[in-house]
Parts: sequence; structure tokens; C-alpha cells
Amino acid sequence: MIPAIAPNARVAELESLLRARKLDRTLTTAIPAAPVRDDALVAATGIGALDARLTGGFPRGQLSELVGPRSSGRTSVTLQLLAAATARGELVALVDALDMLDVESAAAAGIDLERLLWVRGHVVSNPGLCRDMNQRALEQAIRALALVLQAGNFGIVVLDVAEAPADAIRRLPFTTWLRLQRMVEGSQTTCLLVGAESMARSSAGLTVKLGIRDWGLGIRFENRLFDGLNLEARVIRARARSHEEANVALSTIASHCA
Amino acid sequence: MYACVYRPPAQDQPAGDARTLAGVAEAFSPRFEVHREDLVSIDVSGLKRLLGPSQTIVDELRRDAKSRGMAVHVAVAATRTTAMVLALARLGVTVVERGGEAAALAAVPIGMLEKIEEFCTHSSLSSQKKEEQKISAGSACSACNRWGVKTFGELASLPAADLLARLGPPARVWQAIARGEDLRPLIPTLADERFESSMELEWPIEGLEPLSFVVTRLLEPLSTRLERRDRGAAVLHVMLGLVTKDMHARRLELPAPMRDVRTLRTLALLDLEAHPPAAAIDRVAIVIDPTPGRVLQHTLFTRAHPTPEQLSTLVARLGALMGQDRFGAPAVVESYRPGAFAMAPFATEWAGKAGGKNLETEGSSVPPSVVSALRRCRHPVPARVSVVDNRPVRVTTDRRGFAGGTVVHCAGPWRTSGEWWVSGTASVSHPTNPPYQTHPTSWNRDEWDVSLNDGAVYRIFLDRERDAWFVDALVD
Repeated sequence: MIPAIAPNARVAELESLLRARKLDRTLTTAIPAAPVRDDALVAATGIGALDARLTGGFPRGQLSELVGPRSSGRTSVTLQLLAAATARGELVALVDALDMLDVESAAAAGIDLERLLWVRGHVVSNPGLCRDMNQRALEQAIRALALVLQAGNFGIVVLDVAEAPADAIRRLPFTTWLRLQRMVEGSQTTCLLVGAESMARSSAGLTVKLGIRDWGLGIRFENRLFDGLNLEARVIRARARSHEEANVALSTIASHCA
Repeated sequence: MYACVYRPPAQDQPAGDARTLAGVAEAFSPRFEVHREDLVSIDVSGLKRLLGPSQTIVDELRRDAKSRGMAVHVAVAATRTTAMVLALARLGVTVVERGGEAAALAAVPIGMLEKIEEFCTHSSLSSQKKEEQKISAGSACSACNRWGVKTFGELASLPAADLLARLGPPARVWQAIARGEDLRPLIPTLADERFESSMELEWPIEGLEPLSFVVTRLLEPLSTRLERRDRGAAVLHVMLGLVTKDMHARRLELPAPMRDVRTLRTLALLDLEAHPPAAAIDRVAIVIDPTPGRVLQHTLFTRAHPTPEQLSTLVARLGALMGQDRFGAPAVVESYRPGAFAMAPFATEWAGKAGGKNLETEGSSVPPSVVSALRRCRHPVPARVSVVDNRPVRVTTDRRGFAGGTVVHCAGPWRTSGEWWVSGTASVSHPTNPPYQTHPTSWNRDEWDVSLNDGAVYRIFLDRERDAWFVDALVD
């Protein structure tokens, strides 16, 4: 009677036979382990699942994007990224084109507020109607972003244009993003553009698109309280990386639950 | 030849400071040493050709001091030590020709050693060392008195080797003083250097671009001098003489000592851009208040931060672009007002500040889960809300991009109010005062978190004072 062999033992035996025949390239264990995260190359977001998909975090010295519709978690992930950076001792900057940062949310995310340079754009009371004001506010925000990048040595610099009208962003010259990419290239700064849709196109090294997961069930209300969001993040473009489209599930919790 | 001026304490003359005696010395020679506020040594070599014999020099010194309100004793001798001893020991004026030092000092009492020793030895001794020196000189005087040695002349005539054996190494110093020998050269007291530069323009200039060349031209030699003295600029004064004969003066306090020409020029020009002169400029003067330069220790293991020069320039440029109140470090305030915050100046000096936290010992301040954040509408958006059974069922606005929709889920109401006890209106410049409120210092609202069929979650509120609905924030 042939003695029963445990499944794990069978797998191990099979792997050893493949290695002996030098056919072990088909084994998943032959794939080299993911490189250890290097803070000098990437800026970790502090969200484990997302960092694992991004191989450590958003790349330094490149323009990256974080896009998605409203309530897709853009601001939550951005604040988490800034909090992780300040926890590492970095200085960070947020160019808030339409002055929408909620300081209490930033504190709840764990950002060391003394290390955050917040540049507040002039509030446009009705962005939808005042086209010239939209354009001026955006151009001013871009100039402020350029000044911060020129100063250098900020760990993360974020341009938040999430609520700016899409046509105002599209009217910006394409060379704007190329110029910003050149400014950040070779530095230790991660420049992140936060918006409703991708804007930098080929200038962006990495684009992460956020959305509500399980439409209809992604927004959690419990016991008459808003409980949080179920999100998914998708890397839809990456330059110089062999990423395939990969989704990662995220969840946020309301501040009263934190 | 050396002169020593001593101002004895007297009831009828006010107590001055070292600068008064230094002024006397400076009037006669650029090489002088201020020992104390009442004792100055002056190198008067070469004054014979100008003033005459030594007696004339001391008379002139005394006269000059008297004109400044001081009664002084003056002595002139070939050695600094002899002049100092005689100025302290004798009244009035004393002149000792070269070679007569020993004879002049012979009758000086031995107790003078305690008063004079610290000025004759190295000046870089610490105060503790000087105190120890005084004590040992005092004990040496006591020993000499016991031996019957009461004057400098008797001390000078003792055999040096035997004196050294009995009183130790300091005895060499004491015997040299008794003989009037100098143990160290005069160390000139340097006047405070003034860092200023100015230029008269042949043609008046207008605008900042031509001014930038002039400012650079004036700053370059100042920067070189600062570097040589290991100084940095703490305050930068820019004074522009206008064609209207007025003076346009600006004062910039720098966040950290700096001497880089480009940084100083940029800061000066940005300030002038914000505060332009009223007329054309025909004279430019720059004065720098110096301060000891910063000592920086760079490390290989911590992340580099922007330098104070870079941050100062960034802050100045952001101020010119956005306005001084539109950037900084946010701060949470102790208030229940929704969206309350304060702005603090962003620090420009980060060298030496702890970089992050030791996660092993202090733990991370970042919460383990991603916290839902709000995007606050600084101007809440007026909304139309349909209410059924005291619950909102539909939210619409006239704002493009805030179309609204049917309420899918809602949570609330959560009532919040405050500052109703504060009378009057708040300053309109308060960053947390939305303009929509009739009484900006108070609020009284019912808040709801609603998710609409457009897929977004909003925070809306009913202003109970005005019975009006607004969209306050969106969850993102």
C-alpha cells in the first residue's frame, strides 16, 4: 500500500524535482522577492495594500496623479500620504488651488501640521460661473507649485485641483505638466496632482485612479452614522514600471471611529 | 613707548564705561588695549614726531581725558608693564625714560602684584584661571612680606632660581613684573566693524530691474567681508534716496544668519516690490547688522531639508504671489466651530530639529486605518433640500458641478451651536468666518451626512437662524 503523502509534502517534492531539472523558472518561489522599500526612491503612503501594489509608494523625482470622482477617497489617501511623510521627518507642501483643506481632517490623519506648508488659493465663490477667476486661480496655483518645487527638498508636494472645473484644467497648456516634470526630475521630491481626471497625460510617471468599490454598498452608514467608504485603487498607467492594471481594495473609516 | 591711562574711582565723577577711556585712547593711537573700563594701555610709538617728548604726550592725554570729564593718572614708559604699574601706583603723570624701568618700579609696594598680574599674562585665560592666579599672587605677597620683601625692587633683586624653587612657576611672572618686563605684546582692541555700502547714482533710476544691478554691486563686497569675519546678516537695511529728497528705508529681519548675495538681493527686491518707493532713486545705501555665522553639521543619515535661505526666499515669493495671509502652517484651534483653524508662519529653520519620530519607542501618530477626510467649502454652497418626515430626501444647488440628487442614505441631524454669547461682529479677516452668516461670531445649525445618487457623500446643514440649507463639505 502506498503511504499517503501530505499535500504540502507533495508540492515540496515536485518543486525539488523541477529544480533538479533546472525547470524551476515556472515556480512562483523562483520569482525574486519584491525589493525592500527604499525611502530614497519612493514615498510610501502608509497604506499597506496600496504600497504593495506600487512597489513601495509613489516614485520620487516624478510627477504622479491621484484621480477619481467625488467621494472616491482622493483627499483621504492624499492626507495619509502627507502624514506618512511628516512621520518620516519630511517637509511637505500642499498647494490647495480652491482652498478646500479641512484642517481637522488633516490633524485626524496624523499629519504633523508644523511640517506642512499650506498654500491656499483664493476662493472662487462660484467656480462654475466665473471662468476667468477659475483660470486665474489655477494659474496662480501652478505658479505657487513651481515656486515650491524650485525651493527643493520637500518630500511631498501636492497640487490639489480636485474641484476645479474640468474645462479650466484642459485650457492649461500641455507644456505646463512637462515643465513641472522637468522641475521635479532628479530630485527627492514626489509631486502629486490630485484631480477628478488625469491631466498630466504622458508627463505623469504614475496614475492611480480611485473609485467606490461595490457601487451602492461602497458607502457605509451604520447606526445612523456615516461609517466610511469602501474604495478600490487602480494603477492605470505607469512609466518605466512593468505594472499591469491591478486593483487594490481600500477602506476608510469616519473620523469618529478613528 | 607705551602709555597707560587709569581712571581711579572718585565720588565726584560719574562712573563711565570702557568706551569713554577707549575714546581717549583712540584719539591718540589706533593701537590700544582696553583691560578694564578704568584701565587702558596705548602704544604711543611715533607720537614723538607729532606731539613732542613723552611729557607732552602724557600732558595731552590727561588734558583730553579732562575735557571728557575724567580725572586720570597717566604713565609713559618703554614697556607696557612698567607704564601700567606706575599708572596704578602713582598719582598724576609719570614719565620713565628707556632704561629707567627698574629704578622707577623699585619703590612700588609688593601688594601691587595682585592688581596687575591678570593684565600682564595671557588674556585668553578663563575667569576661573584668573581667580586662581589672583589667589596665588595674594599668597605670594604674604610670603614675601614674611620674608621681609616689601617692594618690587627687593623682589627683582632676588635670585630667580631660588625664587622659582620656593614659590613655583608663577614666581617667574612676578619677578618679570617687578622688573618691568613685558610678558606678552599689546593686543589691540578692535572697534566694532560696520558693514555698510552706498552708491550715488549718476542718473536717477526707476523700477526694480535696474535697481537689482545696483543692489548686487553693493552686496557683493559686504558678503565677502561677512565671510571673512565669519558673520551673517541678521538684519538688512535698504535705504533709497529719492529725487524728492525723501528717504525710503526698509528693514528686513532675516530668519537665519545669511550672506549669500543672491538670496539677500532676492529678499530685498521682493520687499521693495511689495513696498515700492514713491519716486525715482538717486542714492542707494545698504547696511547689514551682523551676527555670528551659523555652524552647520551636515549628516549623511537624515533627510535634507530646505535651507533657511531657500525657505526665506520661498516665503517671500509666495507672499508676493498669493498674499501674506494665504500660506503658512495650519493649526487646529480649540473651538467647536465647524472648520475652525488658524494659520501659523511656516518655520524656516529646520536644521537640528528632530526628524520624524522613533517609531519603535514613540509609535506612529498616523492612525492604522485611512480616515475619511472632508473637503471643506470655504463659502458654503446655498442648497435647496426637500424634507420628508424631518429627513432630507433631495438636495439640489444652482452651483455648476454641485448638481445634487436624491438622498440615498443620510445620517443626522447633529446639532451644533456656539458663540451666541459673543456680542458684535467678528473681524472680517478671520479665516473661519464664512461670509454667509449674519452674525459671524455665532453659529446654530443641524448637520447631516448624506449620500446622493450621484455617488458622492456631502455634509449639509440647516442654518437654524436663517432657516436655510447649505452644502458645507464633501467627504472624499
